[in-house]
Formats: sequence, structure tokens, C-alpha cells
Amino acid sequence: MKAFAYVTPQSPESAVELVRDDGRFYAGGVDLLGEMKEFLATPRTLVNVKALPGSGEIGFDAAQCTVGANVTVADLAAHPRIIGALPGLALAAAEVGSPQIRNMATVGGNLAQHSRCWYYRHRDVHCRKKGGAKCFARTGEAKYHSLFTGCMCVSPAVSNLAVALAALDARVCVLRGRGVDKLTVEELYASAWTNPLAHNSLGPADLILRVEIPIPAGGRSTYMQVSEKSDFDWALVSCAASALVSGRSVSRVRIVLGAVAPVPWQVAEANQLLEGRTLDDGLAGKAADRILRDATPLEGNGYKLPIARALIRRSLQKLVA
Amino acid sequence: MKKDPSNGGPKNPSSGFTRRDFLIGLGTTAVSAAALSARAVAADLARSGAEEPQGPGPVPVTLRVNGERRALVLEPRVTLLEALRTQAGLTGAKEACGRATCGACTVLLDGKPAYACTTLAIDAQHREITTVEGLSRNGLTPLQKAMVELDGLQCGYCTPGFVMSLTALSETNPSPTEADVRKACSGHLCRCGSYPNVFAAALRAAGKTGDDAVTVLQSPDALA
Amino acid sequence: MPWPKERKYLGKPMPRVDAPDKVTGAAKYTTDVLPAGMLFAGIFRSSWPAAKINSIDLAAARAAPGIRAAVVAREGPRRARYYGEELAAVAGVSRQAVEDALRLIKVDATPLPFVVDEMDAIQAGAPQVIEDGPNFTRPAARETGNVSEGFSRSASVASGAYSAAVELHHCLEPHGNMIAWEGDQVNAWASTQGVFSVRDGLAESFGIPQNKVRVICDHMGGGFGSKLGFGVEGALCARLAKAAGAPVQLMLTRFEESLCVGNRPSTFQKIRLGADKDGRLLAFDMDALGSPGFAAGVSTAAGGGGADIPSPFIYKVPSARVRQANVAVNAGSARAMRAPGHPQASFGMESIMDDLAAKLGIDPVEFRLRNDPMEIRQREYGIGAEKFGWKEKYRKPGSSPGPVKTGIGCAGATWGGGGGRGQAEVQVNPDGTVEVRCGTQDLGTGSRTVARLVAAEMLQVEPSGVAVRIGDSLLPPNGSSGGSTTTANIGPAVFNACENAVAELARLSGIAEPRGGRWLEACRKIGVNPLTASGRWQPGLSSQGVGGVQFAEVDVDTETGFVKLRRILCVQDCGLIVNPLTCRSQVYGGIIMGIGYALYEQRVMDRTSGVVLNPNFETYKLPGPADMPDIDVILLDMPERGIIGIGEPVTIPTASAIANAVANALGVRVSDLPITPDRVLAALGLVSGLRPSWAERPIPA
Repeated sequence: MKAFAYVTPQSPESAVELVRDDGRFYAGGVDLLGEMKEFLATPRTLVNVKALPGSGEIGFDAAQCTVGANVTVADLAAHPRIIGALPGLALAAAEVGSPQIRNMATVGGNLAQHSRCWYYRHRDVHCRKKGGAKCFARTGEAKYHSLFTGCMCVSPAVSNLAVALAALDARVCVLRGRGVDKLTVEELYASAWTNPLAHNSLGPADLILRVEIPIPAGGRSTYMQVSEKSDFDWALVSCAASALVSGRSVSRVRIVLGAVAPVPWQVAEANQLLEGRTLDDGLAGKAADRILRDATPLEGNGYKLPIARALIRRSLQKLVA
Repeated sequence: MKKDPSNGGPKNPSSGFTRRDFLIGLGTTAVSAAALSARAVAADLARSGAEEPQGPGPVPVTLRVNGERRALVLEPRVTLLEALRTQAGLTGAKEACGRATCGACTVLLDGKPAYACTTLAIDAQHREITTVEGLSRNGLTPLQKAMVELDGLQCGYCTPGFVMSLTALSETNPSPTEADVRKACSGHLCRCGSYPNVFAAALRAAGKTGDDAVTVLQSPDALA
Repeated sequence: MPWPKERKYLGKPMPRVDAPDKVTGAAKYTTDVLPAGMLFAGIFRSSWPAAKINSIDLAAARAAPGIRAAVVAREGPRRARYYGEELAAVAGVSRQAVEDALRLIKVDATPLPFVVDEMDAIQAGAPQVIEDGPNFTRPAARETGNVSEGFSRSASVASGAYSAAVELHHCLEPHGNMIAWEGDQVNAWASTQGVFSVRDGLAESFGIPQNKVRVICDHMGGGFGSKLGFGVEGALCARLAKAAGAPVQLMLTRFEESLCVGNRPSTFQKIRLGADKDGRLLAFDMDALGSPGFAAGVSTAAGGGGADIPSPFIYKVPSARVRQANVAVNAGSARAMRAPGHPQASFGMESIMDDLAAKLGIDPVEFRLRNDPMEIRQREYGIGAEKFGWKEKYRKPGSSPGPVKTGIGCAGATWGGGGGRGQAEVQVNPDGTVEVRCGTQDLGTGSRTVARLVAAEMLQVEPSGVAVRIGDSLLPPNGSSGGSTTTANIGPAVFNACENAVAELARLSGIAEPRGGRWLEACRKIGVNPLTASGRWQPGLSSQGVGGVQFAEVDVDTETGFVKLRRILCVQDCGLIVNPLTCRSQVYGGIIMGIGYALYEQRVMDRTSGVVLNPNFETYKLPGPADMPDIDVILLDMPERGIIGIGEPVTIPTASAIANAVANALGVRVSDLPITPDRVLAALGLVSGLRPSWAERPIPA
């Protein structure tokens, strides 16, 4: 790693100030240090945000759950009330990395993590995302890349938590400039679709403070993924779903796919297709058709389509089980 | 997108020096908070030394390792793994990948398994660090004994890491199932292929007897 | 000189000698040798897959803070032939200083055209990998019998195209050394499978006497065939240590391990196999190629270079024609990897065997029994099939109901092993304790414990009274640890040393039979200086040639392509089993490596940039704990055959059995390893827009 200074601010405002001088926020460091070891990131200052007051708390009130940005993924996965009220989120957290990574990684860091595209991550490949002229994945080894490729960088969003939180209509509170913006997950990632250099919509001094997740009565949620290995492996495709469930009838359905696009992939029309309906496999298939309609797979990753279909159907089955 | 200008957060008072304290100290109670931008306050805080950057050159770093205080001097970019191995003389934790993928560097931070290769030493201050050397001051632990008896290792390079994760498991779950053991091991790789014996050792250490005997047929062969 | 018929220690499960040190972190590997004043070192590598390297400027690196030495790998203009090839190295007071200095090295290079894909490399007009030769030459086919006649008589002929990717050793302890020059003596700690090969490599590359070089390898973290030589990194380490006048440690990183320290070559096989109506094989025809990297089979620095494979492997086929070639690509060179050539040969052969069995409507085990001449394997199939429940479980391919399909498969293997050389020394102390000394290595194979057990048995002392010293070139040489020969080398050598020790002790003590009850009495008569006796490998205590069969059961989710391996059962012989506990661990190890070969492992090269795309454990996927099936191991103990090796035979048939199980489950075959979900779904016809298979491109004449 390139040499850097290390500082521990005591307030978010201070953190934002300190990061401006070629700094990076440092929470769990799992992604950041990985990038720094490859010299993909060479900040002058690491701004340790783990001491920010209240940032490591999980709180519940009547209508919502608040998760501080520095809550570890392990604590999120193991929290009994999260498991009870937001099982999709707990399941998504339980699949992040390994126990060690879950102990180190934070919710904020997991949401803000950078692309895992193997061209981007390679120290000697100057790809589009690093300011180069060419996206190597488009015509190269695209097995792990996006199905939805109308964007310029085809590396997919891989945060399990993002997919689950998107399905839960979560809001991500980000300290930006003077105030705190509450972003939907879609807004949090939108720039990754439009700007090939971007991993998400966060600016270099934007600091995730916490996530707020509504807990509607009768709400159910689920998360599942398929990987090549049985554990400690990135998802080939992941799927989070949530709905208000009554018998086999669902409303306010959300289905979100991960690892298929630079943003967690959700199609409002597909959600609406299922509004107030009684779920069956045929309907699930129609929803899958709509979700996947605009897929333009790359050579080598078309296999993600049948996986996505299967996960969508299985997720919906699980919701009403 | 909703703006929330109150700079809220979970309503817990911060311990220590707050922005309000600083404002009072500056004698600015008469000045409204809005007039003083948060940026200016933060800049002042930084200048006042309340938050002093350390490095990039070597700085004093104190680590609490295996119950002992170790006073080291190192650059912020030195990982906890490197600090343990090359400055604290504790070579049990190994570097096999350096990228948080194999578990050979696993130590416990406040009792929880973590990858030392992807932890900065400077950031591990204020944590209780346990390495494999800290486990067996009074002889082998039951887990270590079981690993020896059931051959939960071959070249042994991955072994200290497994021992750390399984030690943490034994402390949080004294009666694990094999699924629990596999989960506890899921952040580890063993190229020599000792997993089956590692699982057996963890279960034996937890008092679960299994059929671990090696099946050997003498010639002429017969299957019992 | 047979092994004792009644054995007290040999053949009993014994925890390994080194286990306590390993579970406590006390065991010191080369990475752990960190003397005061030691410098760290790192290598500067080519970032071009092919280039003329015109000049390398080390001035800024040399002048960087903390740097004590900097050398180029080779003087003068030269070529780089793969991404990652060593160009220079620096040594400095800290890893950070070295890392910073490496980034100051400037290279003037002229990039050259390159090719990293085998099928691209064999085409006319492909970029030339070898400076003065073609990428690919096809030798004439070798034929026994009459293949066309055999096919014309065949009742059924199967044909197929099978491939497997380049596999990397990925020992957990990287390659590397800690080397210190002291006057005209040089001491090297090496992570090695051969302390003497390192010693002699060091001596030769510096032109110094072999008796001025000492190599130590107390514990090492895996070799699998990749650590049989001194290595470029070893030579650079030694040169830096000399230039700096200080001890230098140079260990590779995982990134580097993915580039340049060897691999199992890729394999691409087009095979036809014919049999008569009774299922007896008549004809075999294979056209194959594989890439062992940039040198295309020219002997590498560490031996075992080529991509040739011993097909049709274990099966008896009266007519066989084999044509195979090595292909050069701009990638790191192959090195021997656990049973070189055999898993590749097994995969192709066992796959087409099952395909032909299906065509003939013959049970796969039965088909093998009709064509496998080895008596031991015949027995092993019988034992294994029964224990596995083969008859009860077997269903015709693809007939398992439901979206998650179950399938079973099997495969057999052979390997040589055996010993033939080596020395050992035994020291008997006046207090009755014993020390065995042997210049061999323990890769995790348990050789320390083998030495202890043999000595305990032959001297009739408790194993706890036997200390073992290995891994030092000051000790009697016993050969490098490769080919599954170490136990068969050590065992007889220690046996002989013990015989000689007993004879000497009898003479000294005047007690005709000093072993047993009168041991302490006899030893006290040794006097002040302990008794030492040498021994050499003797025939009659070891032999060659093992069998081995494996069965696999899988569940395949046909909606997602995910393969879940449920069970592996192995029946394996290795002659006289010295230590069943460590023996079984070796079997687990070989099987698990085979699981990786079947389902997860592949080195991915990028055709556009020429780099290795997965130089890490994130995307080069090793089997992990969660991937483990139930593994049942049945060892056949045949002491009358003496000691034979076990490390390699057990990794040969695993991927074949798994691939056959998947084919049995699905009713279609995934014929390219690794069998990943994308390939399963493609085989099921659920994916469009696929890249054309390699098999559709003809192999130029």
C-alpha cells in the first residue's frame, strides 16, 4: 500500500472535512484495504469512521428499524429482532463473505463497496472504470458480469445488503455537504449505471450514516443466492423479495436481483403485476419475464437468465409459504 | 430524496468532546449554529489537535496481545498480521493470501475471528487481540489435543487459523453441530485437504463422539 | 528382509510428531525465519505478456529509502514471455520500503504480439510464443494394433471432446527462501520438496562448492510438485543477500503464485472408443493437445514440463492410436503437479468409458470390470460398489426425477510410487532414547512420523522415545519428495539403519538381542558417546504400483446448474500402511484436490490483455469446508507388498468419478472441467449465445 496518515474523527462533520484532502473513509477496511494493496486506491489519509457516536447501533421503534453505518454485518445477521422482522436482510447479511469478514465489515462499507470486476481489480488492466478507453469485459471474460448492459461499465452491483434493502424500501442516510440526504437504494447506486467511473452515487466526501428500514405489519422478506461454491463465494445471481402477505395473496411486492446490473435490479412493472394477486408459478414466471425483458447478456453470462428465473420463482414461493 | 438538516442520528450522547462543547468553549453561545458552518467547526476541531492525523511515517502503536501490552513503532500502513509476525515475534498467524480469502492469518479481536492481513495494526489498538500463541500457555487446549489425535492437519500452514476460529466457536457454542463447525470454518482454506479431520476434531473437543477410526481392510479383504 | 509379521507400531494410527508444534503455532516455516538484521525482498515482474525488454533502470529503486540491494534477473536485453515473468528484484529494511522501491523501477520495453488461448495459438499466423520455433508441432500418431479395423468390428462407438483447464498448485505457504551468506558459507531456508536440489541449484548458480551450502526446511506449507527446484525466486534471493551483505527473505505473494511457479497443463482431448457387443474394448483413438505454458514442454527449471498424458490410461485396449501435442502460449510454465498427466488422462478416458457404457446399456462398474486388467482394482470395485450401494443407487442417465437430479459415477486409477534410493542415520543414546536423521522433507505427508514409526518398530522402543530430524542438507540424503516416493525411500533406509544399529549395539553390549527387555541395559553399555549407524534403501521392503477406485454421488439442480457433491467413497491400496491416520489424511487431500479440479479450479487468462484474470483465492476457487461431501476411505493393507506411495494415486480418479456422476444425473455430459453452473445450464440447453466450443475448431494438421 502507498503510505498514508490515519486519523479518527469524533464527529461526522469532522470526518467529512478530513476526507477532503485526498482521503478515504475507513470502516471495516475489507474492501478499502483490498483496493489499496493493489494500488487501485492510494489515499493520503484514512479517516477512521468507527468512533462516530451512535454509528454502531441497531434501533427499533414502532414503524422502522435504524441500523448505524458501523454496525458489523455479523451483528446485523445475528440480531434476533432483525431475524424476526426483516429475515431477508438477516439472510443477506449471513451470506456476506466469511465469519471473519462479517465480523470486520460494516453495513456502510458493504453498501459502498467497489466493483469486483476482475478487470477493474487487476493492477495492470486500465479499464473503462479506471479511466481507460475500453471495457474489457464486454468482449472478454464476462462470466460474472451484468445481464443488463445498456450502461457503459458492465460490472454488476454485488452488495448482498443493497439487494435486500432495496426489496425492503430502505432509505440510506448520507451526510452530503451540509445536510443529510435520504436516498433510496436505487438512488444510492444510480450513478453506477450512468457513469462508468462510478461504483455508486456517493461522492468522495459523502458519508453513509445509517439505514432506515420500514417494518410494515404483515411484511415478509427473503433473500437467496446461487454461487459456484457452497459458501464464501460471490453470488452469480442473488434475489431479494418482500411483500405484505395474506394467505397466498400478496401486495406491495418488491423483487430485486443482485449481480445482474451495476445497480440492484428492480422493475416496478413486475412488482405491480403481482399487486393484490394470488401467487402461483405462472404468475411468478410472468414477473420474471418482465424483470428480465431488457436483459442483453454478454457472451458467457447468458446462464444467469435461467438462474434469475429460478430464484425469482423460489423467492416468491418462499414468501407465501 | 429527503433532506434532514438536523444532522440526526440515533439519539445517543457522544462520549467526550462534542461540537456543542467546542462552540461553548469558543465563546460563541451568542452566535447561532447556522451561522457557523459545520465545516468551519470541523476544521477548527482538526486544527485544535482533537483529531490528530498519525503518520505516514512510523508512529507509536500499542497493541494488547494475548493479555500483554506490546509497544511498537510502525507506519499506519503496516497490517496487524505484519506487526504480529515481524515486530511482536508471533509467527503463528500466517500470510497465505493477504486478501482476506484464506483464513491463515486469523486472530481473535475481542474474541471474534478476524483476518489480521486486512486489519491495520494502528486500527487494532483498543482491541483485545488473541493469537494462537496465547491459547496454550497451560498445555494444549482440548481442541488442540483433538486436532493432534484426529490429524486435523497436514502441512499445518492453515492450522493456526482454524484453531482460532474453532476456539472462538467453542467459547460461543459449547455444543456445536457439524453444520455449526462447517460454518465456523467457512472463512478458511486448506489446500492439503484436512477438512474432514478438522470437523471431527472440533466435534470431539465438544464432547461429541464420532466414528473416526480409519477403515483398514487386511488382505485377504473382507468388509465387516 | 521382510517387515516383521507381528507389528506393534507399524500400521497403527499414530498422531503426527509435528502436530503439537503446528496446532500451537510453534512450527517454523521458511516464512517464519526472521533473524535480526534480515532484509525483505520483492520481485519486479513483466506487465507485458510478451515483450522485448530493452533495458531496466534500477537507479531510482537503488536510491530509495531503506533499499540495500537491487539486481536484474538477467543481464542485457532479453524477452519477457508471459505476464509476470521475473525482471528484477530489490531488498530493503522493510516490506514497505521494498514495495515503494519496486514502483520506482523503469523498464524500456517493446511489447510484442502474444497469445494466451490454446486454440488461438495453434492457428496458422498466431503470434509466436517461442522465439525460434512454432507454437505447436504435431508429432506423428503412435499406434498399437489396428485401430481402423478395431472400430469397424465395434458394435458401438462413442466419441467425445473433453477438456480441463490449467490448474494451479496454490500451496498455502508461498515459494520462497531466507538466505544468509556467512563468509564462504551460505545457509538457505527454503520452502522446498528437495533440500538437496536447492543446495545443488544454489551451488551451481553461484559456482560455489556444494559443501559450502546448507539448506534447511524444518516445516513447509505444501508443495504438490511445484517446489522441486531452486527457482528463479531462490536465485534472486541469494543474489540480493550477497549484494546486500545481509540475510534476505524473499517470499512470493499469492498474486505471484498464480503467475509463475508452475501449473498442471490444460488438456483438450478428442477421443473415439469402440467396443464389441459384450462390452470389451476394441479400439481407442485420441487426438489431444495441452499447454504447459511458454516453453511448451521444454524442461523447466523445476522438472516435469510437458502436457502429454498416458491415455488410454488403465484400460486394456488392443488397438490404440494416440496423437498429442504441446502448445506454447504466453503464460507461466507448467511444473509437475500431483500425479502429472494422470488426472487429465483419467478424465478423458473415464468420461468416454461411461458414455460408451451408456450406449451399450452396460452398467458402468460392470463395464470397467470387463476391461480393467488389474486384479487389485477388480477387488476394490467389488468392495467399493457394495459399500457405496452402487447397484441400489444406479439409474440410467438422466432418469432421476425432479429438478434436483441425483447421479453416481466411478473411476479407477493407478500410480507407481515406490522407492529406490536414500539414506538415513540412527543414533542410539546411552539413556535408551533414539534419534533418527534423514535428509528428507515433510510436506504435510507425515514423513517425520513414518521415520519415527519405522524406528520404533525395528528397535522395539516406544515411539515417544524416538526423535526425528529431517529437512537439512547436513543430514543423510534421502531424495526429493516427489512421485509419492518419500515413505518408500525413508522406510527401507531407516529399517536398514536400525538393523545396523542393533547389530552394533549387540556387539558393544555383548547382549545378543538388545531389543525389548534388555534395551536399557544394553544402551547403558554404549558409554559416553552415543552409537550411530547408517542405513541405505534396500530392495524387498517397498514396491511400485497401486490401484485405487473412487465413487461419487452428486445432486445437480437443473434450474440453477449448482452441483452439490454428496459423497465420495475411495478404496485404495498402498502396500504396507505405515500409519493409517496420516495415510487417510493423504487420501482426503488427494480427493479434495480432485474435487477442486472437477468443480471449481481454472486459471483464467484474458485474451485481450494477456494477464491472469484470477490471481487470487477470490476467483481461483479452491474447495472450502462447506463444499465437502461425506468422504469414506477404505484402505487395503497389503504388507506383503512393502511400502508404496499414496499421495498421488488418490487425486487421479476423483474428478472423473464426479464428472461421471454429473453426466449420470443429467443424462447429458458436461465435458469441460471445471463443471460450473454455467456449463451445466449450457449442457442442458438452457443458455443461448454461447461461445462456440473449442471442439468445433479443427486442430490444424
